[in-house]
Amino acid sequence: MKFDLSEDQELLRRSTRDLLDREWPLEKSRRLMEHEPRGWDRGAWRQLAEMGYLGLLAPPSAGGQGLGPIELAIVCEEVGRAALPGPYLDAVLAAALLEAAGGHDALLADVVGGRRLAVIARDDAPFSGEPRAVTRFADGRVQGRKYFVPFAASADVLLVATPDGVALAEGPFAATALPTIDLAQRFAEVPLDHPAAFLGPATLLERVDRLAAVGAAAELLGIMARLLDATVGYVQTRQAFGRPIGSFQALQHRLADMLLRTESTRSAVYRAAWCLATDDAEAPLACAAAKAYAGDAARAVAGEAIQMHGGIGFTWELDVHVFFKRAKTLEQHYGATETQLARALAAAGL
Amino acid sequence: MDLRLSPEHERFRSELRTWLAANLRRPWREELRDPRATETRLIELRRAWQRKLWEAGYLGMDWPVEWGGRGATAVEKSIFEEEIARADAPPILNILGIGLLGPALIHHGTEAQRRRFIPPMLSGDEIWCQGFSEPGAGSDLASLRTTAVLDGDHFVLNGQKIWTTFGPWADWIFVLARTDPKDRYGGISFILTKLDTPGITVRPLRQITGESEFGEVFFEDARVPRENLVGRIGEGWRIAMTVLGFERGAVGLAHAARYARDLAQLARTCRELGRTGEAVREKLGRLLVENEVMRANGLRTLADLAAGKVPGPESSIEKLWWSEFDKRFRETALDLLGAGGQLLRTSPAARDDVDWAREFLWSRAGTIYSGSSEIQRNIIAKRVLNLPQDGR
Repeated sequence: MKFDLSEDQELLRRSTRDLLDREWPLEKSRRLMEHEPRGWDRGAWRQLAEMGYLGLLAPPSAGGQGLGPIELAIVCEEVGRAALPGPYLDAVLAAALLEAAGGHDALLADVVGGRRLAVIARDDAPFSGEPRAVTRFADGRVQGRKYFVPFAASADVLLVATPDGVALAEGPFAATALPTIDLAQRFAEVPLDHPAAFLGPATLLERVDRLAAVGAAAELLGIMARLLDATVGYVQTRQAFGRPIGSFQALQHRLADMLLRTESTRSAVYRAAWCLATDDAEAPLACAAAKAYAGDAARAVAGEAIQMHGGIGFTWELDVHVFFKRAKTLEQHYGATETQLARALAAAGL
Repeated sequence: MDLRLSPEHERFRSELRTWLAANLRRPWREELRDPRATETRLIELRRAWQRKLWEAGYLGMDWPVEWGGRGATAVEKSIFEEEIARADAPPILNILGIGLLGPALIHHGTEAQRRRFIPPMLSGDEIWCQGFSEPGAGSDLASLRTTAVLDGDHFVLNGQKIWTTFGPWADWIFVLARTDPKDRYGGISFILTKLDTPGITVRPLRQITGESEFGEVFFEDARVPRENLVGRIGEGWRIAMTVLGFERGAVGLAHAARYARDLAQLARTCRELGRTGEAVREKLGRLLVENEVMRANGLRTLADLAAGKVPGPESSIEKLWWSEFDKRFRETALDLLGAGGQLLRTSPAARDDVDWAREFLWSRAGTIYSGSSEIQRNIIAKRVLNLPQDGR
């Protein structure tokens, strides 16, 4: 029994962090987020594919690494820590869905190789509550309207969730950008009236949803860990009343709570990843709990990071808001907290 | 990463489950709501249960066999605590003796002290209480003022201890007393004292639950034989700090097992009451999620223990977590049950499941005892985050 990662997994963490520090420093990523309309650099993205990151979970036959949920959590934690712009988790989830469905080897290989971008289109409404219309799939066509489709303007293929099953539609798509507070993620509204193939029943999404929960929770963990480091560093240098503000108990106790939330998220995320990796019976509950908790915890930690930085924390210049916004977005997507709570209760038989 | 128990640990767990199924007469919750359940009756029930555990070899889990323990590891101890919680077995009576003093004697006591004190401690024939806190020394324990002055072959004790759990039922008390007024930490000694010594008075204190599980102990020229000193004179603070470290372990798992049971009951009750709306479901969902996170923290600690890591200041996270969660859990339960949640066990209208009102009141204690939440946060801030000494 041990909680620590294996040597290979530690190596994956170190090499991922080195790569992201070197190739995606935040100054560069922020230029992409703020000035590149598509929000990411597709050329640089190919490098991630070549290094095997897009095929992390995919089988070697499709050019993937055949790794599992623990490795996904490791990479996503680093992606969160770096605020990497681009559809990383989306592409990995689409690949997982294609693999689960089977029969689309060429497309899967292209997604893994970074040659084509496939993403999953889920939301039928821009706000919570009942959608006005539900996207349907029938007679080889998918019709309706999807919201918050990640990086839809760049997507070659959409995997569309409908009550009739998952439909595979090829672009181009008439994506209307939906700008949100999040700088790192591009969302769009996509009207659909496309010929489509039947990818598989809606139940295919169940395992993908669990991977999504673990991946998003791990990104949230990376965000929290980075903001905690940044804030602990800041309060030790910032002086007020003739001493570092980090010496005040009023801040120390809140920083202790930030650590508690961050480390508890770490326990929950890696336990969930381990359950998923071993097909443990507790995986559905553990994954839902990890995502629900991480969403709340990251919002609290990111909020405290702004507060403890004071006025500078509210400026566009400082990077804290990039993570604060990213945390809020991740909380709402990949299975919002409300959804995860319902899943957790169902999994626990309550 | 591997969160599965080893085959030996699985075997230990299944043997323990079998033993509990055969030996636990009825759950503690049922004992508590038995109309005949007086404080004295419950104390005797706990004593009998402790003796049963002792005879089966389940006490002093991680103590050497030589001293009546099982010679097992912290992992088995954590599994034991989790299973006991899952089965809703009564708590043992000599929690403080076995939890704190036993390890202190094993690590710092003399051979004669171990021979004299450990067997009756395990059997439940001698119950111990802990004489640490004083009216003027709580979180700032080192400011304690009870004195022990050497007079020939006796210490003479004067002063007062307070919040002494089991004081009203205990036979013995382990006391931190000041042997040097000038040395804050090095002037404290660890002394074993029989409570019927002339000059000692124990007074029960009534708690907000109406019970008197704790009390206060007064010392007026109480003479204690010098051989009852543990370690050397002035070594008391160091012994106390190492002993408090033994309270640590993967406690999250035991707590999570207990809350999972109560949460299932709460969900059943809500259903029976027709409370199935979204607001209710969301509250239940959040409790479930937080409990799962506590379980994950517990599993991580257990895995670290199994991998041979010694729990460090991170164990403050577990203490902070379960005690703060306990308050949220019990408050939410009362919110969901409405006014009926406040009914006392003795009320004719009380429901026949968990004593929610009692649990609600008890939840206010956990964030105060064994290092308040504020002290735990101080520990995390200084020893984990390495923040500068606080300026208040």
